[in-house]
Amino acid sequence: MLSRKHVQRLKRLPILLLLTFFALLILVPVIWLFASTVKPAKEIITYPPSFFPKQFSLASFERLASRLKILDYIKNSVIYALATTIPSVFICALAGYSFARYEFRGRSVLFIVVLATMMIPFQVTMIPLFLVVKNMGLYDTYGGLILPKLAAAISIFMMRSAFVSIPRELEEAGRMDGISEFGLFWKIMLPQVKPTMITMLILGINGAWNDLMWPLLVTGDTRMRTLANGLALFIGSDTTEYGPAFAGAVVSIVPMLALYIFGQKYFVEGTVTSGLKG
Amino acid sequence: MYATRNNGRLYKPYIPYLFIAPVILLLFLFNLLPTFISFIVSQFDADLTFSNGVYLGLGNFNEVLHDSRFWNSLAVTAKWTVVEVPCQLLLALLLAGLLTKNTLTNKLFRAVYFMPIICSATATGIMWKLILHSNVGYVTYLFRLMGLGKINFMNTPGLTFYVIVFMSVWKTFGISTTILIGAMQNVSVSLYEAADIDACSKFKQFFYITLPSIKPTLWFLIMTRVIGSFQVFDIVYTTTGGGPSLSTETLVTYIYTRGFEVFRMGYASALSVCLLLIVLVMTLIMYAMMLRGERE
Repeated sequence: MLSRKHVQRLKRLPILLLLTFFALLILVPVIWLFASTVKPAKEIITYPPSFFPKQFSLASFERLASRLKILDYIKNSVIYALATTIPSVFICALAGYSFARYEFRGRSVLFIVVLATMMIPFQVTMIPLFLVVKNMGLYDTYGGLILPKLAAAISIFMMRSAFVSIPRELEEAGRMDGISEFGLFWKIMLPQVKPTMITMLILGINGAWNDLMWPLLVTGDTRMRTLANGLALFIGSDTTEYGPAFAGAVVSIVPMLALYIFGQKYFVEGTVTSGLKG
Repeated sequence: MYATRNNGRLYKPYIPYLFIAPVILLLFLFNLLPTFISFIVSQFDADLTFSNGVYLGLGNFNEVLHDSRFWNSLAVTAKWTVVEVPCQLLLALLLAGLLTKNTLTNKLFRAVYFMPIICSATATGIMWKLILHSNVGYVTYLFRLMGLGKINFMNTPGLTFYVIVFMSVWKTFGISTTILIGAMQNVSVSLYEAADIDACSKFKQFFYITLPSIKPTLWFLIMTRVIGSFQVFDIVYTTTGGGPSLSTETLVTYIYTRGFEVFRMGYASALSVCLLLIVLVMTLIMYAMMLRGERE
């Protein structure tokens, strides 16, 4: 005789199998990708293909480094990710704070304008945006890469929501002490929205690191490419270089995997509140 | 020059404007101005430098209407919406329903399902391209073992489109799943307790309690996914580039080729304006449907 507990477990079995199936659908390709990076070039192209490496070799990584300016790509990705995100969090917090805590003429109109920019997909403005940036003399520069990505309506919106719920007393106490308005924002209010800031920082770094379109448009020099667009151009032009392609993909994934392990909570929270684009 | 606030404290009236000035300036320069410019550029025949642009009026739009490649890309995009969005949302609904409870195993599954989202489209594109590669691909090999012949996943008109849709669902279903789990966890527990007392099956509970309760979130997801499907570019660019024989060329991929491969900035802008109009109309239609759905 099966106890009631056992019956319930048995009922749960098909569900577990289904969930495991989808988990394997994600994990197995990723494991194959990682395993393939340490295969010698010969093993990659032999038939039948192997799943786990029979021999160990770092040739793919060496070839990646010699074929591409991979260190430049990594450097540019790091610069792009940090230099867009950190100032962005600051200015969006400042704006969100202003919209949340001050009453001023034109506030609702300006906020609607901000929200309206959220309705216009980047893909619609990319051609004219490219022309604007090019005419400012910013083609192939970090400025051109970074400046258009600093102000994001969704961040302003999230920041505003975070600041709205802070109690009035905190602000009043600060003003009582004769603190400047910026000091009030910087020293008293900003620390209150730390979780939102971290969420935006992490989502921002992830988004910029993986951004393909804008770096693709606004950089031409191989030294200015980021990992995402440099690798995409590489795989597009020369698909027979499998080893370096494997290695490049792994180089692009590993830092984000580390970020995910460190900040999973923030990824999930940010996704639920903002509906992160994908 | 001092303004007062309800609490009687004082601050200079320009302070709030000063605080929003940076983002307003940047949004104006890099969002609003380009949108405005796209309407102007779309009326010219112009290349990258714009040095010898010719005014065409609505000529570019006339060409769009007679451009079979535009209509093809629009059809591909519409097909994407019709295939990808329901697949993704049904899968996400199923998984979210199974993973709502905060148990350790459920958290583990959620963490795995979310993983592809943090990877770049470039990396996942390269990965799938090689796994499905006609010579070195492991899946291709497995299919051959099963006696299904040598399938050329990446280069078969009629099949490749669905392969790319699969990759897209694979990469992004975790977002929809996560958002739906968030919504399902907010459904009041007492509703389910009442249903349990009435001996209502879990299956029925899902349809009569869960689904109606998460309707707003579901609408939000449908809207963002549908609009998102009109912006598909990355996964196509990193895998097929629009081929074979344009069977995966989406609207944005086509705009990209007009602008940055043949350098017809005016024509590409006209296509962008069309994309904007399509997205706006779709948003309005879905918004109206949502409002009607709520009234019922």
